[in-house]
Amino acid sequence: MSEHDNEDMQIAEFVLGTLPANERKALNARRQLDPALDARIQQWEERLIAMTGEVAPVKPSPELFARIESILDQQAAQPIQSGSTTSVTRLRRQVNRWRWSTALSSAAALVLVAVLALKPESTPESFVAVFQHDDQQPAFLLTVDLQNRQLNIRPVTAEQQPGKSYQLWIKAEELGPNPRSVGVLGDQMQLDKGALKQYDPALLREATFGISVEPPGGSPTGQPTGPAIHGYLYPAGDGESRGI
Amino acid sequence: MPSDYPTPTAESRSPDSSAAQATTADDVSALIGRVAMQDRVAFANLYTATAPKLLGVVLRILKERSWADDVIQEAYLKVWQRAGQFDSGKASPITWLVSIARNKAIDELRKHPAGRTSTDDAMDERVARQPTAQDQMEDQQEVSKLNRCIDELAKERQDIVRLAYLGGWSREELASQYEQPVNTMKTWLRRALQDIKGCLES
Repeated sequence: MSEHDNEDMQIAEFVLGTLPANERKALNARRQLDPALDARIQQWEERLIAMTGEVAPVKPSPELFARIESILDQQAAQPIQSGSTTSVTRLRRQVNRWRWSTALSSAAALVLVAVLALKPESTPESFVAVFQHDDQQPAFLLTVDLQNRQLNIRPVTAEQQPGKSYQLWIKAEELGPNPRSVGVLGDQMQLDKGALKQYDPALLREATFGISVEPPGGSPTGQPTGPAIHGYLYPAGDGESRGI
Repeated sequence: MPSDYPTPTAESRSPDSSAAQATTADDVSALIGRVAMQDRVAFANLYTATAPKLLGVVLRILKERSWADDVIQEAYLKVWQRAGQFDSGKASPITWLVSIARNKAIDELRKHPAGRTSTDDAMDERVARQPTAQDQMEDQQEVSKLNRCIDELAKERQDIVRLAYLGGWSREELASQYEQPVNTMKTWLRRALQDIKGCLES
């Protein structure tokens, strides 16, 4: 079975619902960054949707729509609030921006991580991003503590590749259209915790991050050149589904 | 859609009477287009026209009403946020809406597999098709074509496809129900999907 066929069946099982949870999560994340994949998922959704024709509709309780309306009312009243839904919207905007900009600069094989504020009203201002190699396992975990502007990156499944370096990038509207290097990961896959000191928290909150594989010592051009590590942020802690 | 469905809100934004008829794909597309422009009346109408369908699908997967309600809530909030991304050239509006809700339901189920009574309902899930329950929003031709393709599969394969898609059964649950190794079940599922695809394209 070819690679393409295999991926097609993975997508089909995703839509059917039987793809194992970790692969499912990864595919959910990748589709946000990969319009071609998203389109293939939609094709499978279209193929199988007719099965729902045998499901009898169930009348929702009147309270349910009232609940939804009141959440929308709250959001409309507090557009700046970083509640979960607002954050998700922002995340979506960031992803859209990335789609747009990566479409424009196809050569830059950087794949970015969207960063989502994690309940900032109740927890320290920290963010978590998960970078993914493929659709299997998280490669890196990045946390950013906004208050102290400290970052902590650690490999999850990523391994040092001989003759290659991993490089972390930041992208934000204020910084212009191109990603900026945050730093090249050292031999122990570590990075200076203070590497984000020069950026203010408001910028960091809106920024996206990505990791690329570069020649030893980092990109020779100042822009990402190597294969990307797909990234996506997962909210830590609460059990709410926050996929977008 | 029966016309006696209650309007979902008692507030000033209560849907206009035309919502009850807004069940063609074009109507739903148009509503989504208005929702993309933050039109709350259109949102209420869209909900009235489509929530029963989505709730039916989600409830069949999660089995629990309050759990299903939560997923429907999340799904419509997402619809509100993402309506601008709906592309009628790429997906039918019903597919788009149902997929958002169904996807969330499966995510939830995988996250909390113990959240519902597992395989007690094994046999009642394996129901034969009920053509009488066909939702009028579906294109009848598409329905019968897919069903014909599924019917061409061996009986067990038909069942696993329906249990997975409609009931949210995992590979492991199917494997244990059919007393097969999980990898065998994966192969069965993928062959069935491959066959369905081939049949649909023929």
